[in-house]
Amino acid sequence: MLRSAHSTSARKPVSLPVLALVATLVLIIGYPLLLLVAMALNVGDAQALLPTHWGLANFIRLLRHLDWIRNTLLVALAGSTFGTALALLLAWIIYRTTVPGRAILELLVTIPYPVGPLVGALAWSELASPRGGLINVLFHAFTGSHASLVNVYSVPGIVFVMAIFEAPVAFLMIGAAMRQMDPSLEECSAVMGAGRLTTALRITAPLMLPAILSAWLFLFISMMGAFAIPTILGTSSRFYVATTAIYMLFQGYPPQYPLAAALGLVLIVFAASAVWLYTRALRGRSYAVVGGRTYRPRPIDMKGLTPLLFAIVCAYIVVALVLPLGILLVASLQRNSNITLSAASWTLHNYRYVLVDFPTTRQAIVNSLLLGVGTGTLGTAFATILAWVIHRSRGAGRGILEQLTMVPQSLPRLIFAAALLWMMLALPFKLYGTLFAVLIAYTIVFLPLAYRSITGVVVQLDRSLEEAGRVLGGGWLSVMRSITVPLLSPGLLAAWVLLFMVSVREVSASIFLAGPGAQVLGPAIFNFWDSGGLPQVSALVIVQTAIIFVALVVIRSVSRKGIAL
Amino acid sequence: MKHEQSLADVRGVMPQAPGRPLIRVSGLEACYNGKPAVRGVSFVIYEGEQLSLLGPSGCGKTTTLRCIAGLETPTAGEIVIDDHIVFSARQGIDIPSERRSLSMVFQSYAIWPHMTVFENVAYPLRLRKERANQIKLRVTEVLRMVGMEAFIDQPATNLSGGQQQRVALARSYAYLPKALLLDEPLSNLDARLRVRMREELKRIQRQFRVTNLYVTHDQEEAMALSDRIIVMRDGVIEQVGKPLDIYDAPCSRFVADFIGAANILNGQVAERRPGEAVVLEIGSARLACAPRVDMPAPNAKGESLVAVRTVYPELRRGSKGTSVNCWPATIKERILLGDIVNYVVEWPGGVLRVQGFPNMLYLEGEPLWLHIPAERAILVDADEER
Ligand SMILES: Nc1ncnc2c1ncn2[C@@H]1O[C@H](COP(=O)(O)OP(=O)(O)OP(=O)(O)O)[C@@H](O)[C@H]1O
Ligand SMILES: [Mg+2]
Repeated sequence: MLRSAHSTSARKPVSLPVLALVATLVLIIGYPLLLLVAMALNVGDAQALLPTHWGLANFIRLLRHLDWIRNTLLVALAGSTFGTALALLLAWIIYRTTVPGRAILELLVTIPYPVGPLVGALAWSELASPRGGLINVLFHAFTGSHASLVNVYSVPGIVFVMAIFEAPVAFLMIGAAMRQMDPSLEECSAVMGAGRLTTALRITAPLMLPAILSAWLFLFISMMGAFAIPTILGTSSRFYVATTAIYMLFQGYPPQYPLAAALGLVLIVFAASAVWLYTRALRGRSYAVVGGRTYRPRPIDMKGLTPLLFAIVCAYIVVALVLPLGILLVASLQRNSNITLSAASWTLHNYRYVLVDFPTTRQAIVNSLLLGVGTGTLGTAFATILAWVIHRSRGAGRGILEQLTMVPQSLPRLIFAAALLWMMLALPFKLYGTLFAVLIAYTIVFLPLAYRSITGVVVQLDRSLEEAGRVLGGGWLSVMRSITVPLLSPGLLAAWVLLFMVSVREVSASIFLAGPGAQVLGPAIFNFWDSGGLPQVSALVIVQTAIIFVALVVIRSVSRKGIAL
Repeated sequence: MKHEQSLADVRGVMPQAPGRPLIRVSGLEACYNGKPAVRGVSFVIYEGEQLSLLGPSGCGKTTTLRCIAGLETPTAGEIVIDDHIVFSARQGIDIPSERRSLSMVFQSYAIWPHMTVFENVAYPLRLRKERANQIKLRVTEVLRMVGMEAFIDQPATNLSGGQQQRVALARSYAYLPKALLLDEPLSNLDARLRVRMREELKRIQRQFRVTNLYVTHDQEEAMALSDRIIVMRDGVIEQVGKPLDIYDAPCSRFVADFIGAANILNGQVAERRPGEAVVLEIGSARLACAPRVDMPAPNAKGESLVAVRTVYPELRRGSKGTSVNCWPATIKERILLGDIVNYVVEWPGGVLRVQGFPNMLYLEGEPLWLHIPAERAILVDADEER
């Protein structure tokens, strides 16, 4: 009797919570993907949700548009490489040298990430478009020449804006790895007789490689699915990447859903292959200790180079934060699309327009705030349950559950939103066109972000603390209430605010799902830009950025670490 | 008897003649964020010597070691290695770590996780551009020495703490550094392994005969492994000497407390003449203490501190043996610890802790004679605040 009981527990059956969560994730992630595959194989009626005829014709049609795929890969490869290199340089300067003002630089360098790519693209198009861009206007005024100095409506322009606005994520990932590396590994190499360069090449570089590669991969996938930047900076010169092509296919008349689905599927295959290659390359090479202590290595005194390094970080902050927000602020105060720098003719009228007079933007602001709160709450709750079951229960199948949770990270958000759209259209009740549809989309696409941010908190919490509470006679509920929740709450609040921020600025996941009945900020700004009205768009962007800054202040005050990924 | 034996032991380990000075540290000062961690430390390490830096947590041992290795920049002082000035605040010299020809075993071992055991040990040899077959030979040899030759091709991440420690040792002995610096290399091991590794380390030290500077807060380790010990407190050197000299003649209350177990007694100075025994009045007892070369002055109230190691007082049944320092006493409490027995003894001076052995047990409440040999009553400095 005893023995049989023992052997069943040794096999660890899949527990009920694990099973239920796996089923939920398969349903909400797997089912839309299945619809996407079906749509891509649909060669019959292009408007039908379920294919009437099956075939590969859509993929063959794609062969005529190989430039879309080539452009996507080009932009994503160049952007992620440049962005990771930039992040590595910034992380090294800030964490490893004696550059002054480390704490404030560390904070400022991460802000472009929550500000977001849509804001970045709009700002840089106002700064460096070939004709009206402020930099070119000033250049003409000073030199009298009619050539333009910079042109952001180009491939290098797109790569540049992508890189500077995605670099903060890579900075956070690489910076965390740098602080978790035991400095004695490098010191030992020095004492044994290796010069700085040898130590950097043979000790530091190989140890940092996993973090650098994973940051690069994160940027690569994120840039393959980037939508706002290539639309705003690429479409006017008919430069299409996969996401902008899909958007065009959706907007065309009649919409070409099957071709868009096939393109989306190809993109997902590329992303999945990148993840697979990465996992293979790093097999057994991850040396990072989970929840490991952070070290404070002795910073290197770069002596005479210090001002240069400081200037590099400042230049980044100017290019990615000060100039973009500055130009948008100035543009939002203009009476018309021609930017003047004389404050006499400035007006606050545009703010009145977007906040009060124009119902669409007013509604979008309110809806976005509601969505931010909703995504924050739902996402945090769901991710907490997942993290808890994955790290604290003992049943089998927890590894699969974790992998499923991370799946949305390698799905371009625009494509997943399209798949969700089809799923919602297939439902017997009306979900499409409601705020709830957007909420579901946001919760799923940001699940990996929420999970990663909460896992750290759950893992950190020492299990013995809870057990102590239980031994003292509390039941599960009172242990949760009096010990677990108070200990977790700063981390939970930080995750909540992070989700709030990314929802407020999101556009890719909502561009298809937000409709006339459910205006939200990202798509509203985007559509507003599409239909002209630069001063008003700028005012709306500034309002959005102000909301994000309030959230940033909250995040700083609840968690010393600031944004954690 | 016991005393003589251990003295002989110490002599056996000592190099025949004190070698020439290899490392000379003078007036070393180091700060973290303006807060001093080391305040004017000077000492010499002779060639082939095993020297320990011993002291409680936070007293600046690691900082001193790292300054010698070139991993911290001192704020003042001079460090000379093998007749070359490697650091001098006055002359503005600061030779980087890699050109100091030293070697170091870190507290965390610093085994490079992306390399195999072989590559770890071969790294310093490759830096010195040795030939491949030479490297192979040498690595195998040092790994055999630490009993790790079976792991030569294992990835370093597969090693346990004790194994990492051996590989770290092998790596630092692989090339012949001028001196080896060790920062608490045993402190990450569990107690049993620590004792075993201590003996291994001693054997390896004897084999390689490399000059060692060994940092530890464990007095047993320092006693077992060193020719000389430097005791540090609050960033300053408290006492320097051979292990047994420090044990037998601690210069201050701090050293007496920190090394071994001692009774610290406070007495009124009754007689104090140069070259003759100092007599202290403790309670109703008069304790004669051996004179010291630089005798600590009594405090304002005319009191002095005396340290009596718990192993040295003699307990005796029957008749009073000598007349000096001998009193009737009773056993108040007996604590049997297995290998040793602790007694709390009541004597005219109050209570005294005395250590005995299970081969000669006394009963609680038993009246007997207590004898404290005058040369075992050591006058010590009171610890002034720093
Ligand atoms: N990186 C650092 N930054 C700031 N203060 C430090 C740093 N390292 C050491 N200190 C301080 O300097 C003093 C001496 O530290 P050190 O590490 O030399 O002590 P230690 O004798 O090695 O102690 P332990 O036995 O705990 O290792 C301590 O007060 C410590 O708090
Ligand atoms: Mg230390």
